[in-house]
Amino acid sequence: MLERLGRQFGYDERSAALLVFPVFAVLMVVAVYPIVYSFYTSLFDIVLTRPWRRPFVGFGNYARIFADPQFWTAVQRTTVYTVVTVSITTVMALFVALLLNEAFPGRRLLSALILLPWATPSIVNGLMWKWIYDPGYGLLNGILVQLGWIEKYIVWLGDPDKTLFMIANAAIWKQMPLAAILLLVSMKSISNDLYRAATVDGANVFQRFLHVTLPALKPGLMLVLVYETMISIRHFDLFLIMTQGGPGDASYTLSWQIYVETFRNLKFGIGAALSYVLALATFILSYLFIRGFGSKA
Amino acid sequence: MRAATDDGRRAMIAKRWGRGLLISAFSALLVIYVAGPVAWLVSSSLQSEADITAVPPNWLPPKVTFGNFEAIFSNTTREVTYETRRQGDPATGRFLPSGAENLLPALWNSFTVGLWVAILNVVVSITAAYAIAVIHFKGRQAALYTILATRVIPDIALIVPLFLVMRNLDLVNTRFALVVTYLAVTVPFTIFILISYFEQIPRDLYRAARADGCSHVQALRHVYLPLSLPALVASVMFAFLTSWNEFIFALILTQNIASQTLPIVISGFVMDFTTSFSFVNAAGVIAIVPPVVLAMMFERYIVSGLTAGAVKG
Repeated sequence: MLERLGRQFGYDERSAALLVFPVFAVLMVVAVYPIVYSFYTSLFDIVLTRPWRRPFVGFGNYARIFADPQFWTAVQRTTVYTVVTVSITTVMALFVALLLNEAFPGRRLLSALILLPWATPSIVNGLMWKWIYDPGYGLLNGILVQLGWIEKYIVWLGDPDKTLFMIANAAIWKQMPLAAILLLVSMKSISNDLYRAATVDGANVFQRFLHVTLPALKPGLMLVLVYETMISIRHFDLFLIMTQGGPGDASYTLSWQIYVETFRNLKFGIGAALSYVLALATFILSYLFIRGFGSKA
Repeated sequence: MRAATDDGRRAMIAKRWGRGLLISAFSALLVIYVAGPVAWLVSSSLQSEADITAVPPNWLPPKVTFGNFEAIFSNTTREVTYETRRQGDPATGRFLPSGAENLLPALWNSFTVGLWVAILNVVVSITAAYAIAVIHFKGRQAALYTILATRVIPDIALIVPLFLVMRNLDLVNTRFALVVTYLAVTVPFTIFILISYFEQIPRDLYRAARADGCSHVQALRHVYLPLSLPALVASVMFAFLTSWNEFIFALILTQNIASQTLPIVISGFVMDFTTSFSFVNAAGVIAIVPPVVLAMMFERYIVSGLTAGAVKG
């Protein structure tokens, strides 16, 4: 029996199975099972304050989500936050990558220094910016008053019109370095001959950027856009530590709604269904980005 | 003729100066943007409560005090109330929250969890990455996509089922639960990095090793591992930093100080508005130092590792 199995699956197959097994064992317990279970949960009306009754509702939870105005508020907040964060991060990262692509003294030091935000824990990032924005003693108010740009101290995070942008700023600070590094790598892979040829043809700096750098950067830009969108659309840590969804519902994003429904309202079914909606949105967006860039290239 | 070349040279020099000026200006802006907020964090961690609540703010500590750090590392407890903080009187003490003594155990938990994640992550990822990248077995694509697909679902969706799994295994409030959970986050990405690295190693080396009678494990040990040191270092660093910085899983899976990591304890201080600003900032500085030092030390490896998959486009 064993011999026959051995003959059917060669040495390669058996080794591969053995070598891949540990990863699958771990992922089975901490990823695959929770993912499947979570979907299963999303089909039931589970409320922990009422543990004895948990009827099967099929896609009822999803229907309830889409009928909930709070969900559409969350979609709107998440969209604003994601668009602002991703676009500014990408543009800044592009400038930083262009700078680091030049040869100048101190370049190595600078490219090590930009890892500082990347390595900062998100909780520290949150507390740091919360302190900078502090309405009573923060640095931001201090600087702006000393410069004479504002008269009085401003409540930054407590203002519903500003709060999403203030959180986005903290997120951009942390996310920009990795985006810059990814773009820098794609820039480095552009052959110098292309620039030389463009220069010979009489192209100036901007024309060279537009016609040589930018087209070659497409794969890198796509990667950055997909990655940053995935991070931003489901970001949670900063919302918990800086605003808790507030003031009012000014920073009530989808990930915050999942947290509130699951851990405050203890509606596990709704929370799980929301998670799947968010996962699906992430998936579709990534696909659209990849398709969009692929067709233009 | 001479005048023309002089003009040309002058134009060249002007251009070079312009470029130098532009680069310096941009670099200076970048340094301020990246390091400024952290510098302010450090500066405010070294100020007394009276100095830190000054208007306008003190950019640099008027008088450097290590009181916050002393308090964290010498395990003292002192009560603070909203009123005493607002008075901003140095005589009312150093405004320490009651949980101050939790920081040291949390620091230790963060270190042990991070180390275990770093080691286990690389051990289980190496063999799987080798199998998928090198051995052309049936279903290797499917194996890779299954591993990567586990990262599509948002972390927050996994927490409830994970909590139930850990509770059934009686692992809630243990560091072990965190280690295993973090592997789910780090392993897919590490495998991705290692595969793209392994695939760049010439296949002739593998054929030669196999022809000489090496088993797969021997080929991995004697051919692939020595050649992929940068990717291995990057994976270890990446796993440690991910574990060190992780928040939401730890928030739900650990509820006592036997297992809570630094971000959890610190977030407690941030949301408790009676806690002194300078104390919170000092806690933040402590949490920021290990990852930043590691990132700077291994910058080259981290950058090459993180971008290994990206280069191929």
